[in-house]
Amino acid sequence: MPGAEMTDSRTLDLWGQVAAHAAADGRRVSVADVCAVAVSSAQLAGAWLAAARGADPDFLMCVTGQVGEQLSELQLTLGEGPCHDVLVSAAPVLAADLGDAESARRWPGFAPAARQLGAGAVFAFPLIVGAIRAGVLGLYRGSAGPLPDRQLGDLLILADVATVMLLDSTHGDAETENGSRLDGQARDLALHRAEIDQATGMLTVQLGVSAAEAFARLRAYAYSQNRRLADVAGDIVARRLRLPRDQDPGRDP
Amino acid sequence: MDTDLLSDTFVDLADTMVADFDVLDFLHMLTDRTVALLGASAAGVVLADPRGELRVAAASSEEAGLLELFQLQNDQGPCLECFRTGRPITGTDLTSAAGQWPRFAQAAVQAGFRTVEALPMRLRDQVIGALNLFRAETGPFDPADLRIAQALADVATIGLLHERNVRRRETVAEQLQAALNSRVVIEQAKGKLAERLGVDMDRAFMMLRDYARATNQHLTDVAGDFVTSGTAEFPPPVRRRPGG
Repeated sequence: MPGAEMTDSRTLDLWGQVAAHAAADGRRVSVADVCAVAVSSAQLAGAWLAAARGADPDFLMCVTGQVGEQLSELQLTLGEGPCHDVLVSAAPVLAADLGDAESARRWPGFAPAARQLGAGAVFAFPLIVGAIRAGVLGLYRGSAGPLPDRQLGDLLILADVATVMLLDSTHGDAETENGSRLDGQARDLALHRAEIDQATGMLTVQLGVSAAEAFARLRAYAYSQNRRLADVAGDIVARRLRLPRDQDPGRDP
Repeated sequence: MDTDLLSDTFVDLADTMVADFDVLDFLHMLTDRTVALLGASAAGVVLADPRGELRVAAASSEEAGLLELFQLQNDQGPCLECFRTGRPITGTDLTSAAGQWPRFAQAAVQAGFRTVEALPMRLRDQVIGALNLFRAETGPFDPADLRIAQALADVATIGLLHERNVRRRETVAEQLQAALNSRVVIEQAKGKLAERLGVDMDRAFMMLRDYARATNQHLTDVAGDFVTSGTAEFPPPVRRRPGG
């Protein structure tokens, strides 16, 4: 059920689990932590996450086990499968039963091969923010069966977390505490305010950068100024604020 | 009600629902026609995201104040209640709704509205969103008009899922996310075009939509091409799309 408080608490709770997972290993948060939390919170068997350097999500960044790795490679080898489809449709692919007619029709090579590897269901999520494409998150379960709404919602939230992590690592300043930046901005990112997306578009022109870079710079600026992301975006859209064109988001314009 | 416009509306909506069509442009057309047919001041389609929030998918105006009224309803408001109960929230006078929805009612009145209506978008047992109507005048919508509006909300549901017979519950979720992501692409494109040309967001949306129609492309594809293009040149260079 919708409601900002619901979104807040679920988002912050999931983010807390991701941070706790990293802390338990004494590391900074990474997409590996997102994969681990995704598997446990959705009660699935395994997950893999690949970054899309071009059109295909071909840069495997983490897996939780061998089957996940094999499922990821299988799709690249065959050129078909849920992960292949998610970036085309810009939507999740929820293959609840790889043995059904629908799966056989969509993935005549992948579906039977995946079942032989032990996967009865595969759920794939595009890691995207509108036109910004970072990669895919794939998960599987041994048995066929649907993904309950609550778990779907959690996986969508975790996919968002993974997306901004990937974008930060390629376009943001990975040296700064990207973990706490995400934590502080979790609520704003979860609420999907239109101003954030509009400001991203405006910044591609103002800064002369790609959408992915514009999004990273917007968030870095809000973090460096200790301001709400939505408020900074609102100021940019209302033309009360222009970001500095140079690389350092902390300097005054 | 203008019955010619009504017939034309259903014909136009049915025409667009064949083969491959642009969901967000369809929903936008629906909100425009709803305003014209019901004499409403504004209309919007709000969808429920499994992440736990209501998100605007299309509105009769892209003006920031109106979009904000939909976003506010994540905390309180007729769309939230309509979504939770699956029932229409009818004929609410905003000037006396301050007790019920303090922030929303105040913002809506400040935006110039006096009456609000929310109609559920249902697929069998599932409520996927709401059609939200606003009037500047006091007094409820005509009940006969509201039956038409509910029919339009039902058409919006069918159009959104663009399949006559959505058998898999997963398909609903997948297609809702596709629509919501398309919305983000459009917001990004609005921002880029508004900045490039120095126009407001509503005008930027119209330009994107008009260009898409003139070139027989999907609004979302035009928006995506524009956002990812290395220049801010508009119209953008046409791109070959993966998957054909």
